[in-house]
Amino acid sequence: MLRHVIIGNGIAGVSAAEAIRSLAPDAAITFIAREQQLPYSRPMISQVLAATADFSQLPLRPSDYYEQLRAEALTGQEAVAIDWEARTVETDRGAKVPFERLLIASGADPRRLKVDGANSRGVFTMRKAEDVHQILGAIKGARHALVLGGGLVGFKAAYGLLRRGLAVTMLIRSNHPLAMQVDAEAGAIIQGELERHGLTVQVGVEVTAIESDRLGRVARAQLSTGQALDCQMVVVGKGVWPSVKFLGQDRVRVDAGIVVDDHLQTSAEGVYAAGDVAEHFDSARGERWVNAIWPVAVEMGRIAGMNMAGRSVVYRGSLSRNVIRIFDIDVLTAGLVNPPASPEYEVLAARDLRRRTYRKLVFREDFLVGAALVGHMEQGGVLMNAIAGRIPVDKDRERLLEPGFNYASLAPMRRVVKSEW
Amino acid sequence: MKTVLVHPERCVGCMQCMPACATAHSRAKTLFLATIEEPRPQPRIHLGAGPAGEGFPNRCRHCDPAPCMLACLAGAIRRDTSANTVLIDPDLCINCASCAMACPFGVIRYHQDFAAPPGKVVAVKCDNCLERQDQGLVPACVETCAVGALTFEEPTAAFRRETERVTARLLIAMEAAMRPASVGFELLLQGKRAAVAMNPPRA
Repeated sequence: MLRHVIIGNGIAGVSAAEAIRSLAPDAAITFIAREQQLPYSRPMISQVLAATADFSQLPLRPSDYYEQLRAEALTGQEAVAIDWEARTVETDRGAKVPFERLLIASGADPRRLKVDGANSRGVFTMRKAEDVHQILGAIKGARHALVLGGGLVGFKAAYGLLRRGLAVTMLIRSNHPLAMQVDAEAGAIIQGELERHGLTVQVGVEVTAIESDRLGRVARAQLSTGQALDCQMVVVGKGVWPSVKFLGQDRVRVDAGIVVDDHLQTSAEGVYAAGDVAEHFDSARGERWVNAIWPVAVEMGRIAGMNMAGRSVVYRGSLSRNVIRIFDIDVLTAGLVNPPASPEYEVLAARDLRRRTYRKLVFREDFLVGAALVGHMEQGGVLMNAIAGRIPVDKDRERLLEPGFNYASLAPMRRVVKSEW
Repeated sequence: MKTVLVHPERCVGCMQCMPACATAHSRAKTLFLATIEEPRPQPRIHLGAGPAGEGFPNRCRHCDPAPCMLACLAGAIRRDTSANTVLIDPDLCINCASCAMACPFGVIRYHQDFAAPPGKVVAVKCDNCLERQDQGLVPACVETCAVGALTFEEPTAAFRRETERVTARLLIAMEAAMRPASVGFELLLQGKRAAVAMNPPRA
């Protein structure tokens, strides 16, 4: 029977293993996973920080998961090299794991801060459950936290720390928050909501150095403005890099992520990639892209697993999407929200400042390619699926902006005018 | 297995399914008492208006595979395979709205519910009235629908009925457009037509 090896027990690896098992009852499956824990919900760690969930809610599978799945799990060890001739994966504990089918679902690592003092105690990233453990441990002695980066991780960290009673200052290099996810207008609404709850936001600013006290703990940050800020904690949210160090040179094509084909196979025969590490195609952008988000990892994992088990399934491309709830504001985005300035794109927007709602739709040719909703996001899935499915929306586009928009708005129906048989 | 089927072309937009659903998902199970209950019971079926103002009873399709289930960050959504129903566990739900982003029909709402921990906002959607079905009742929306826009039946039987209806209409249209092939063939067909006319497909 085929030997399947999966690097990573995140949701891409887990989804793949379950797909393999459902199609190939006898296949051998081995996980190599850096973290010791059972598969857990990585996005939920921000809920743990915000005290809306606790660590016990993180595991996604039962404690006897690996036995149930009849999979071998080499946890707490990291893949460090691949021997392409012998077709084995080497781990940092010296294990050599032979494979016939390999899935690289190693995910991504947070970008580190590259300034003096970046390794001081009290400088954190927020990627793993362990990171939140450490942040919560450091919260007790802290009054003021600095959050670097105005992306989703930065916002979730800031939200969590505010809810934990810290004063939080967010430094954003670009000129508006969530620059990658939403446009300036939605970003301003979100920023306003966070500021109302005590967040200080500074845009166009970077940290130039972090100073620590005699015990090596963070004490002060020097900013590019020449200003200095006292802080006892720094959370860095400056994006992620795919984890591909173990791949070696030139055996597998890597661009912004590991390049995969429509069956999620890499340039190496029998070697697949899925999740945050893989670069496929963004269906809204129409170009190769890494969408390092949870639902894409689920989809890719399932499809990679099916292909590995011998069932040919085509992946139709990913779509960036996100939803965040910050205090009383919901923000949902899907696809291409900030299109390039070009007559190819038609942008429709509606706002209700009193209700603090905002809706923006981006069209290219006959298709919806992007949507951003602030407030009233229950219908976001309808829009998301219209984008992902490339369903032509060629008339009555304004209807999609109406507050009462719902699935029926898009479903003109033949009426029964007389009794028919 | 019987399931709720929606026939939007029959819907007159009376919205009676909504209070019926909310009542079925209240603590009291009667309309009057449900209206004064806290948290206020909410419907899981949502009457939308189409482009010409026509009604559309929009409810969970219990998709398989279910996009909401795959998107759930907390593992709170599961499929009850015996009832072919996708269910949200209010204790596990973290109200992250990832399912709102996944649902192609936009049928998931976020509010408090008597079946959820008190004060907790959770994702809520149609549960096929499993509690009523256990008591031998049909789902509340079906029971209350006066125009047959919601039916509770075997999908295979419904699909067959629809196929027969379409076939019959298509046949009539084709015959009207065709010249007779030959007298003998016409005579043969006449018998078949008589059979169809005497035994029209069930409405």
